[in-house]
Amino acid sequence: MRYFGIDLGTTNCAAASAAAGPDAPVEQFAVPQLVAPGEVFAETVLPSALYLAAEEEFPPEALELPWGGGRCIAGRFAARRGAETLGRLVTSAKSWLSATQAERTAPILPTNAPPGLERVSPVEASRAYLAHILNAWRHLHPEEPLRDRAVALTVPASFDEVARQLTQQAAEQAGLPELILLEEPQAALYAWIESHPDWRERLRPGDLILVVDVGGGTTDYTLIRATERNGELELERIAVGDHLLLGGDNMDLALAHTAAQRMPKLDAAQFHLLWQQCRLAKEALLEDSSRAEAPLALPGRGSSLIGGAIRGRLERAEVESILLDGFFPRVDSHEAPVRRRRAALAELGLPYEQDPAITRHLAAFLRRGGQLACPTHVLFNGGVFRAARLRERVAEVLNAWLEQEGRPPAQVLEGGDLMHAVARGAAFYARARNEGGIRIRGGIPHSYYIGIEAAMPAVPGLKPPLKALSVVPFGMEEGTEAAVPGRDFALYVGEPAEFRFFVSSSRKHDPIGELLEEIPEELEELAPVEIRLDGEAGTAARVTLEVHVTETGVLELWAKGLPGTPHEGHRWKLEFQLRRQRA
Amino acid sequence: MAFRAFFGILGGTLPADIARAHGYEKAAAKRPEPPREQPKPETGALQLLGLMQREARLIDFFLEDISPYTDEQVGAGVRSIHAQCQEVLRKHFRLAPVIDGVEGTFVKAESAGALAREPGAIRFTGNLPAQGKPTGGVLRHRGWRADSVMLPSASPKQNLSILAPAELEVE
Repeated sequence: MRYFGIDLGTTNCAAASAAAGPDAPVEQFAVPQLVAPGEVFAETVLPSALYLAAEEEFPPEALELPWGGGRCIAGRFAARRGAETLGRLVTSAKSWLSATQAERTAPILPTNAPPGLERVSPVEASRAYLAHILNAWRHLHPEEPLRDRAVALTVPASFDEVARQLTQQAAEQAGLPELILLEEPQAALYAWIESHPDWRERLRPGDLILVVDVGGGTTDYTLIRATERNGELELERIAVGDHLLLGGDNMDLALAHTAAQRMPKLDAAQFHLLWQQCRLAKEALLEDSSRAEAPLALPGRGSSLIGGAIRGRLERAEVESILLDGFFPRVDSHEAPVRRRRAALAELGLPYEQDPAITRHLAAFLRRGGQLACPTHVLFNGGVFRAARLRERVAEVLNAWLEQEGRPPAQVLEGGDLMHAVARGAAFYARARNEGGIRIRGGIPHSYYIGIEAAMPAVPGLKPPLKALSVVPFGMEEGTEAAVPGRDFALYVGEPAEFRFFVSSSRKHDPIGELLEEIPEELEELAPVEIRLDGEAGTAARVTLEVHVTETGVLELWAKGLPGTPHEGHRWKLEFQLRRQRA
Repeated sequence: MAFRAFFGILGGTLPADIARAHGYEKAAAKRPEPPREQPKPETGALQLLGLMQREARLIDFFLEDISPYTDEQVGAGVRSIHAQCQEVLRKHFRLAPVIDGVEGTFVKAESAGALAREPGAIRFTGNLPAQGKPTGGVLRHRGWRADSVMLPSASPKQNLSILAPAELEVE
């Protein structure tokens, strides 16, 4: 029996497995992938890059993997080849999964594909990475097949329900309909627990752990509280941050643009190389404070390497001002992120954060309840934090806030493998779930609302005000269900009814069935939910709403015929309406 | 482990005795390779050369006339070649010293462990005894051994003599 964990990242995917039994170690799974035409090699990460090769770009055997092949390739060679050609490389599919403005099930990637070239949907790209990893495992370990519920797949804690369901859909299409979803920051903490068997001695009831997870493309915050129940230490996830499209890639890109200003015009492939070099130069400069600059050299494109080289440099002062002051500034805990209202997205682009200050977003997260939440411990995750200087800066800023509140500094939970912890933690969790073991309680990390138009006489030019009905309370646990009390709806049979759907990660105390008279600012609108009642058209059915959270963590909304009406005993599922209605 | 050996064998460069000395043999035996064409001896060499060129542009560098350039220019170029060559070595070989000791101190030949009796694992220099092998000496160089080789598996149809393709940019 094997338990399996998959970290489906914005820039890199990783996987790990664990044998049965609480003490069996969690092992990294190196994923074989094309590294060049016709060459397959196993690496600890699978870059989340999908290359859509042209019909005769390569002979078919050059793209062959041990378990089959096709023109759509994932991983190291995909990323490399994609930098050499135009409009054939899909990246950041995961960020698109959570982009409310985009048609996420439609073929929209790569966004820069010239007309006539193939495109795939963000779901399809995610499916391709998952299928690649799963096929690799099946090929290498045919004697240890993966059972659905023994596989955990991680998503950002801040992923809303639509993004989670799309991830699940990708998993289903990859052949694992029932796999378990797990939040990445929780997975990072599981990995820390796995590597510290004495963790119960390191934490005390009342401790509050802040997980700061800065990945390639997203930043994710989570608070986990240690509590005591029946003399046992338990962990409960009590808050997650908003979805921030801000990560290490943005940082390295900002550095590359700065360095490029001193260089002659670079082509796409050279810029890509510069981007990679800037990442290494950044780490070197942050590591060694005695260096004033790091040299960059882009080898000549032709065979003259030294003669054709373009030289450049990255200066310490730039790294400090761009990274430390730009992304990790020392800010007061009362500062709020600068947020300009997003204009209705006219062009198809990712809604990157307006304010790049990760520390300011952190302040807003910790201050959500009005009072500053005061963590006693902090766990870092994500490749960005390989630079010790950045970990220190976050700790420094956090501890300054804590000092103002008269609290002791937070202790850093050390020893995590920043690149692979999430996959390892996921494998550990898959085992704990199946065999019993420590589990972080938490439930659904958001509350959900449907919009209800107020009944009022129509006034020309004035839309009736919208109220919000709480349908899913914060923290609803897996394997539970609840009915929305006090309200029923009359829906026409045979035609679709649509509800506007809202989410909040900060409102935690709205009980199910609560009606908010107006839509509060902290509610964010998701894709609408749609229901189509089967039956004889033209009649109306009276229904009540029910919510279920499945064992695997999927949220379902159901409409149920009201007792005493002709539709008693009937149930209909509400589905997300992801295709935008064309006016 | 089985996996590493699997690729080591595909590369065809892991001598059986070295594998045995480091305990890889069992793993290799667990997953027998289906009979396949014996890789030609130059396969591994061409693959490695191609790899070094692809990742670090090593052929370009060695075959370029660097005499017209200043030390500074060469130095700047070498940095990235060095970093990338190192990455290739780390990724595709597991390298370790033959004798893991402090250079300049006296060590016994036995410090090489199982390799102590391996001809070619230790080279004695200096004032050699008239008869028999010396039992130790001052460690001048720790030596290197490859514990494992993990080269990419190449498709049999691949023409490995193409070390780097010519590049034509379509405008």
